[in-house]
Amino acid sequence: MSFARLQHGGPFRQTMILVGLAVFVVWSAGPVLWLVISSLLQQKALIQQPPDLSPANFTLTNFTTVVGAAAALGRGIFNSLVVSLFSTAVALALGAPAAYALARLPVPRANGIAFLILATQMLPGIAIAIPLFILISKLGLIDNVLSLGVVYLSFNLPIVIWILRGFFTSIPVGLEKAAAVDGVGIFATFWYIVLPISIPPLTAAAVFAFVEAWNEFFFALILTRQHAQTVPLVIAQFAGQYQTVFGQMMAAAVISVTPVILLAILFRNQIIRGFADGMMKG
Amino acid sequence: MVFVAPAMIVLAAILGFPIVDSILLALQHVQLTGGAVSQSWVGLENFQRLFADPVFWKAALNTSYFSVMEVILVTLISLGVALLLNHPMGKSGFFRILLIIPWAIAPVANAVLWKWILNANYGVLNGILKSLGIIDYYQVWLGTPFSALNFLLIVDVWKSVPFVALLMLAGLQRVPQSLYRAAYMDGAGPLQSFLHVTLPTIRGVIAIAIVLQTIWSLRVFDLVFVLTRGGPADATALLNFLAYRVTFNFLDLGYGSAIANVIFAVTFILAGLYVWLLWPRQPGASR
Repeated sequence: MSFARLQHGGPFRQTMILVGLAVFVVWSAGPVLWLVISSLLQQKALIQQPPDLSPANFTLTNFTTVVGAAAALGRGIFNSLVVSLFSTAVALALGAPAAYALARLPVPRANGIAFLILATQMLPGIAIAIPLFILISKLGLIDNVLSLGVVYLSFNLPIVIWILRGFFTSIPVGLEKAAAVDGVGIFATFWYIVLPISIPPLTAAAVFAFVEAWNEFFFALILTRQHAQTVPLVIAQFAGQYQTVFGQMMAAAVISVTPVILLAILFRNQIIRGFADGMMKG
Repeated sequence: MVFVAPAMIVLAAILGFPIVDSILLALQHVQLTGGAVSQSWVGLENFQRLFADPVFWKAALNTSYFSVMEVILVTLISLGVALLLNHPMGKSGFFRILLIIPWAIAPVANAVLWKWILNANYGVLNGILKSLGIIDYYQVWLGTPFSALNFLLIVDVWKSVPFVALLMLAGLQRVPQSLYRAAYMDGAGPLQSFLHVTLPTIRGVIAIAIVLQTIWSLRVFDLVFVLTRGGPADATALLNFLAYRVTFNFLDLGYGSAIANVIFAVTFILAGLYVWLLWPRQPGASR
């Protein structure tokens, strides 16, 4: 048996792998495909048993109806955009310098702080939700987009710090040493030398934070009422109200997931590298 | 200091304060009436009530079953998927896109999708199983306690596998090719090289994946909220959902905090384990 044969396997192993890959494709793509098909199919074709998939039954009316009828969806998308962009931007602005300091500057107990931040991410949302709810109620800031955005920093800031800290630890020290020798201060080094070479991890952290904020449901459920509702809440309400209009329900779901799926596909390599490294390197 | 301070102040306000306050709240009787919060200290009364509450014990049992099964299934399936995608035939970027999609789908949208797939009258699962002759009549999948809990489990496994598979794939790609070549020179077959080269090298990654997945399985909420609301007969009331229901439906904030504290304590131990696995060791020290 050759080495190539060991790696690729014989005909039997190759067949098994092919079958495995086929099962994997059906298992992951099947439900998503059914989501898209359902959103494009007329109600009467959809509830036939079996569903009538002839091309004539495909239509965009589910989408036009949902967009036209539900003002809540448009407002939800707007609110989600504001909350996600706000918390991503603030998380990057505060998190990047903090991550750099924890990785590179003589901060006492830097490792301890970094791991403490990571450990807080393990906590269930409910543990911090009740005190935050009481606090925000007392401040009269329930149902406010910005207060939700600030609460989202509780997970986005740690994500950003953790992803970027991993990267900053890995850049060669020589670069900063050279800058120090030339008399460049810490701030200038960070701004002109470190940040420009950090665009890929910054992008990964930003996409990651945006997706997390866009998809978040639990805090939004507790901290918003009507005015500041985000997309996931609108979708969950639809699922309750339009129980029987399956096509429209799926159309609303498709609209809500498309932006982040596109982002995830576009930046998949950065995301995969970002989280694999962030989660596994100390 | 200027670099770290702003981030630390924000984290202290939105993480540090609530964590401490949540422990204090569990020792109080907190009621919300007409927007006003009334608080009074009651010592350990909430915890005494908790340990005598059959609903709590039921939720604890549900959660244990859910978490154990979830961790076993996710770990095994993810390892399988990672091995498939690490094989030369699975290297195509297409498979990676397939993995990233379920990860990016919002948990709520995922729950709504599965509610439709599992629908008792028109759901596609019933349709497929009936036409294959596996079932004779359409089933109400979310209607009976045992079946509802298991479908919740399956849906969450579907959503959780991609992330863990990507972690494991990254681990597999770090196994040096030279090790396989050396094993081949020593006459190892495919099974031996998997058992003696692959597994030992990615053992650390698997351990991390198991701990993380346990922690994540304790936070499942969106799925329960959309699919079952804890029913039927509290069969899918996981601890996290119970804490939410007690707090925000029954407005019993102190008792809700006590339940949240139990989840908090379990997670805290697991988080300690995770940090211990990750903590930077001296070079050469084995993990």
